Amino acid sequence: MPYKLFDVDKEIPERKNHTYVKHCSDPAECMPACNTKTVPGSMSERGCAFAGAKGVITGALKDVVHVVHSPVGCTYYAGGTKRYPTSPDMPDGSKFPIENFNLKYVCGTDLVESDVVFGGMKKLRQSIIDAAQEFPEANAIYAYATCTTGLIGDDMDAVAKELTAELGKDVVVFNAPGFAGPSQSKGHHIANHTIFERLVGTQEPPTTTPYDIGLIGEYNIDGDLWVLESYLKEMGIRIISRFTGDACHNEICFMHRAKLNLVRCQRSATYIADLIKEKYDIPYINVDFFSTEYCAENLRTIGEYFGLEKKAEKVIADRMKKVGPELEFYREKLQGKKVYIFSGGPKSWHLAIPLEKELGIKVTAVASQFEHEDGYVKMKNRVNEGTLIVDDPNSMELEEMITNDRPDLILAGIKEKYMAHKLGVPSLMIHSYENGPYIGFEGFLNLAKDMYSNIYNPVWRMLEFEENPAKNGEIEGITESIETINGTEVAK
Amino acid sequence: MSGVNVIEKERTLTINPLKTCQPLGAMFAVMGVYHGLPMVHGSQGCSTFVRYNFARHFREPAEIAVSSLHEDAAVFGGRKNINMGIKNLALRFKPDLIGAITTCSSEIIGDDVFGFVDTTKKELKEMSEDVKGLDKIEVIPIPTPSFVGNHFTGYDIGVNSLVSGLAEHGEPTEKVNIIPGMVNPGDIREIKHILALMGIEGLILTDTSDPFDSPLRPSVTPTKPYFPKGGTTVDEIRDSANSQGTIALCKYAGTGATSLEKKHEVPAIIESPPIGLQNTDQFLRNLKILTDCEIPDSILDERGILVDLIADNAARYLFGRKVAIYGDPDITTGMARFVGELGMEPTMVCTGANSKTFTPDMEKISKETGCDIDVLFEQDMRSFEVYVQENPVDLIIGPSDGRLLAQDLGIPLIRAGFPVYDRIGYHRHPIVGYNGAARLMEMITNTVLEKYYEPTHWKLQQ
Repeated sequence: MPYKLFDVDKEIPERKNHTYVKHCSDPAECMPACNTKTVPGSMSERGCAFAGAKGVITGALKDVVHVVHSPVGCTYYAGGTKRYPTSPDMPDGSKFPIENFNLKYVCGTDLVESDVVFGGMKKLRQSIIDAAQEFPEANAIYAYATCTTGLIGDDMDAVAKELTAELGKDVVVFNAPGFAGPSQSKGHHIANHTIFERLVGTQEPPTTTPYDIGLIGEYNIDGDLWVLESYLKEMGIRIISRFTGDACHNEICFMHRAKLNLVRCQRSATYIADLIKEKYDIPYINVDFFSTEYCAENLRTIGEYFGLEKKAEKVIADRMKKVGPELEFYREKLQGKKVYIFSGGPKSWHLAIPLEKELGIKVTAVASQFEHEDGYVKMKNRVNEGTLIVDDPNSMELEEMITNDRPDLILAGIKEKYMAHKLGVPSLMIHSYENGPYIGFEGFLNLAKDMYSNIYNPVWRMLEFEENPAKNGEIEGITESIETINGTEVAK
Repeated sequence: MSGVNVIEKERTLTINPLKTCQPLGAMFAVMGVYHGLPMVHGSQGCSTFVRYNFARHFREPAEIAVSSLHEDAAVFGGRKNINMGIKNLALRFKPDLIGAITTCSSEIIGDDVFGFVDTTKKELKEMSEDVKGLDKIEVIPIPTPSFVGNHFTGYDIGVNSLVSGLAEHGEPTEKVNIIPGMVNPGDIREIKHILALMGIEGLILTDTSDPFDSPLRPSVTPTKPYFPKGGTTVDEIRDSANSQGTIALCKYAGTGATSLEKKHEVPAIIESPPIGLQNTDQFLRNLKILTDCEIPDSILDERGILVDLIADNAARYLFGRKVAIYGDPDITTGMARFVGELGMEPTMVCTGANSKTFTPDMEKISKETGCDIDVLFEQDMRSFEVYVQENPVDLIIGPSDGRLLAQDLGIPLIRAGFPVYDRIGYHRHPIVGYNGAARLMEMITNTVLEKYYEPTHWKLQQ
């Protein structure tokens, strides 16, 4: 049977369909059930649709005020945003006056009981006006429905329509209340559609070139987008619109002027690439920049598309020269290590082959909180026989996997990290990263370095008190664990 | 004559809130129960965001379940979700206690969480014929609609629900109940240290010190499921009805103390947290009132070490420096009084909560210190920022949420309270008690030395 019921799941047998062990001879339809309702009380790691809309998609924009129409909690949590740095550079060459505006401020209506009883429209209206006054620099105001406002039925779109005219800047409503859909993925979907329907095609870029591309589904986690931007720039390609890492409101509005779209996160952003293709006939290609091989391969594809093959080769050669030797060191050290990839969405399939092929790692389990069928197809194609593929994993399942299988490292989020540590297994944050960026050539080196430093952290050899240590064991252990690369002492 | 000037928010809009919603506080309270599990009855964000916030502050696992309300529940009600959620938790985790915490969504759709919990408990009892022990699991409904109050009141409701739901009259004990408030493991450990020196057995309601700062010892860590070390046991909470008294160490969390007084005649004292000299003195006096204990020399020596530290350094480095403080209403109150004790001026304080005691307390501190205090009441971080731009101060004290603003203002931020996520170790060390005050004093002074003294200056020679 390709499906596995964890011991800890015998009381929730519906979890069996979500846990698949890859067998190469299985028919194509064998894969974990996904994108379905969560089992209540299962200790799932999933988030809500609001988190998917604000936290993932729109929170990366540099020049937008966000007004969360909610009791104070959702606003507070929307402020503890992902690591989405922004630069002040605007498409017309000007600078946005407030640095890291998206990380710095978050606004909300702080709904109280009387608002729930009598409706929150007035408060929303005044709050948006306040936001426009407080931050006149901001180029648009995005407002968010939440569970409360979804349930009390505030007609936020009516308020937004009125205020867009009154304030002379776009006021856009994202109707992704927390209870919508099975996971944060629904929020990505809603945000994509809202942005397409409401914004794309409403403005024109200051200039265009034949080498303008749209980079879709790249949110600049820990500076990932800037890594890719530097490659493209050296190739002579301009990113005209970013969706949405380090983007500004205006460039979202002229996404229809790209000559080609690259879709980086194919879970959260294929929607808008499809919509743009359909309406504006702009082609898109799915790209994968995690690891040196995928990055090189995809840069070549882009180079070919624009007739810039030589420049692509130059970028690849330059970067490989830079990272190759050091990567070789980590490859040697990481050879044969057993690693799980517990990503939010697609990193499980992005990373499975690169970790194996380029670093010699054995990926024995992959999981995703909110992937859909297309993602699991890729995951299944890219992992080895016997690899466990888990949809919407919960913490007891992770515990069972760790205690039975003792991996060397778990790539996961902050919720799993400290649990893994308590069980004696190192864990590296792959959702928001530790010492990123992790994308591209340099990023893959950073990732390898972070995996290495976590696995080889000397503390994992000193977890328990030894009454009778091996002769000279402690001292030997420490001296042995230090060696030098590139003039820096690192643990072995 | 010095006094306070209360400045309320002029905008309707809230920008960078200094509070979050009630459920977080309730979850915090349940995390302090031995083998206790919070289960939020709401959307998945209601648990995930809180787990994220606890994890980044404490750097510990925070196991919080959710009933996963989706659209169908929003239409037809969430009875099935909470029922299944509790049963799944009970069967798989076999906890000692489940706190069933409501949110905005579950309250708006009108779910009767008390009724649902009753039904579920009956089912668990029936199921216990097959699975032993299910009937022993306590399930406590905690009503914390997110559109009422804030996370401080949520904590208060959480503690009170636990106490009211569990406390049972029995043999009187010599214990003193302590409701610590939403403080750090280091603070609770310092309180326990003080109690130990005084020879008093404390009953902490609830004790998050070990759950939020647990040892990494795989050989003794329970797995499948993982439960952190420590916490207050259900039996201990039951026994809280028989203690000599209850001290709530923050004014927002006194309801549990009042309930025990009303129902079980356990005398209640509700005070500001013991931050600084005089507030810690008051804590000792309160312990004496309840237990008639002697105040031992050992603790007076600890007090003396703090006094020595202040006497040696405060006038020289800190006198007259202006401080702005934001965050938790009670920590802010304690902190304002303490910086006054150091000869500094708490010129502005800011809280997001609508705590009734905040302004009167500041009036007292203003009289005591002779310093005019601007009180930003029920305000947000943006108001704080704008105020400080116009009225510069030398130091800012508060949680990490002010880190970018402090950087822009060019004023050093001394991190305290919840959350602190851009530095490590803050949860492990106290700000309460004489030891906590000494640590604060050292942090404040070293920050002043770092910022306001040239690194090569002869003034730093001795």
